[in-house]
Amino acid sequence: MQPSRNNKAWLAVAPVVLVVAFSAIVPLMTVVNYSVQDIFDVNTRIFVGLDWYRETLRDPRFLEALLRQLSFSALVLVLEIPLGIWIARAIPRQGRQTTVFLIILAVPLLIPWNVVGVIWQIFARPDIGLLGAAVSALGVSYNYTSSPVDAWVTLLLMDVWHWTSLVALLCFAGLASIPPAYYQAAALDGAKGWRLFRHVELPHLRSVLTIAVLLRAMDSLMIYTEPFVLTGGGPGASTTFLSQYLTTMAVGQFDLGPAAAFSVLYFLLILLLCWIFHASVMRRDA
Amino acid sequence: MASVSVSGLTHRYGTEVKVLDRIDLDVADGEAHAVLGGSGAGKTTLLNLLSGLLRPNSGTIAFDGRDLKDVDAAERNVAQVFQFPVLYPGLDVAGNLGFPLANRRWGRVAVRQRVGEVAELLGLTPLLDKKTRALSLFEKQMTAIGRALVRPDVALVLLDEPLTAVEPAAKWRLRQALQRVRRELRLTMIYVTHDQTEALTFAERITMLHQGKVLQTGTPEDLYERPAHEAVARFIGSPGMNLVPARVRNGELCIGGQSLCPCALADGDCVAGFRPEWASIGDTGIPVSVRSVRPLSTLGGMQVALVTAEVGGATIHVRQPMHAADNGQARVRIVPERLVLYRHGRRL
Repeated sequence: MQPSRNNKAWLAVAPVVLVVAFSAIVPLMTVVNYSVQDIFDVNTRIFVGLDWYRETLRDPRFLEALLRQLSFSALVLVLEIPLGIWIARAIPRQGRQTTVFLIILAVPLLIPWNVVGVIWQIFARPDIGLLGAAVSALGVSYNYTSSPVDAWVTLLLMDVWHWTSLVALLCFAGLASIPPAYYQAAALDGAKGWRLFRHVELPHLRSVLTIAVLLRAMDSLMIYTEPFVLTGGGPGASTTFLSQYLTTMAVGQFDLGPAAAFSVLYFLLILLLCWIFHASVMRRDA
Repeated sequence: MASVSVSGLTHRYGTEVKVLDRIDLDVADGEAHAVLGGSGAGKTTLLNLLSGLLRPNSGTIAFDGRDLKDVDAAERNVAQVFQFPVLYPGLDVAGNLGFPLANRRWGRVAVRQRVGEVAELLGLTPLLDKKTRALSLFEKQMTAIGRALVRPDVALVLLDEPLTAVEPAAKWRLRQALQRVRRELRLTMIYVTHDQTEALTFAERITMLHQGKVLQTGTPEDLYERPAHEAVARFIGSPGMNLVPARVRNGELCIGGQSLCPCALADGDCVAGFRPEWASIGDTGIPVSVRSVRPLSTLGGMQVALVTAEVGGATIHVRQPMHAADNGQARVRIVPERLVLYRHGRRL
């Protein structure tokens, strides 16, 4: 049977196409448009081809921010994924306590990004912050506003505090969906500890971990608000990530052309990394 | 292998009603024992208590006379095959078979050798390096059975309705394979099922469980011919045993107001049970009203029908040549020697 053509169907999809166009395609194309022009004012613009791209890729400050960005994301994943799994395994599977644990875990996820930044900015202050003052009282020299290492540690702690819950909740859902028979079989087969985790739990967590890693990778690659509030990118440029450098360029200096080229590169980078990850997971599944 | 002895086993979840109520069960070394019962009979709870995954509220479990009160699931040397194939997804077939051995710190060479033996026995050798994803349900369940048999010191193999998930055509093959390894290895096996055919064909002895209580333990013939309880009589057989109201009067057993045979029991009401094959519709006997005549099968050119009739308010089934039965009033003759009598549900 020939599939019948019904052009009216396009009408039904039209609203979605319109929304997506205005929310994603039009802004993206605007940025692409800017990235190939040198703009002086509304009426004066010169087509410059790929010059901005070339310039951005040669900019040492861009490359440094990129390196920092990749390191930060890698550290975030290394810390949050195992910790999230560990927490998820520690939550009781059923009973009244479970709900309490889940609610406590969900709390950091409900706090706005900039508030998280403010909380940690105060919490980690060496003079009045609970954490900062406590660490200083122990005789450890700690100051996130002057030491790059301290700034990084504080940022990572903040991100772990803010987002490990997400990994833990996803993993908890994954663990809860394992049929009890697997645990029973493992108990009878004498599998405990690491072997139980490795051969029973981890294989069943594959799909949720894929989602957790993707979400955390994308999110941490785009991080802006928290370091902006906490350290302002400093000390020096030690915590200036791509998004913050980009904002300085576009909003602070009005370098719209280079900023647009930067944005496109940034977007492609995240897309590329996520695609590589996703493709490698899919290939192993096939 | 070990003999299993269970006595007075009682279990409840929380404060709810007892799931198992004073269960006694004895399984000899190398015996194939089936636990038969409908859903909610407590079969799975019994298995979990035997394997040590659950601890009973009271009662004892002993293997070879050794009390297992303080022995962990992993130390009981019990293996279990579940309703659906439980395989470790990251491992290939060989890895799955060797898993219990690797957990017990066997050497690589010893594991490979033992896995080879078990695979040979079950015909899994060509599959050894396959991923479990690539297996059919039958092959998966065979692998799960292999994993249960891999430990040479395994005391008891528990089977929890292992044929449920397999496609119908493979059920027979799987049952054959189970029978064969059981004979070759003389395994003590406890096979839990709600399917009487599986139980009757697999086991040397059957325990019928009903609402947490043991109704009867015996050979398949015992359960079929001499059910100890009305519930057993109804559950076993297809259709189940005919149960009709009867009365003992002046040393005579009467059904449907008609005297059937002499009876030594005290006067009073009772229930008479007989299998469909021990009765026939004809011109003499107890009057019944035939409700339906349904063709069953053709045996040697003769059509056999299942006749449904009513006696004293109870429905009975009789297998009968097609031509000999018709709707309406008829009479049924029962072989008196094959009657089983019940009072208050229990056999007299």
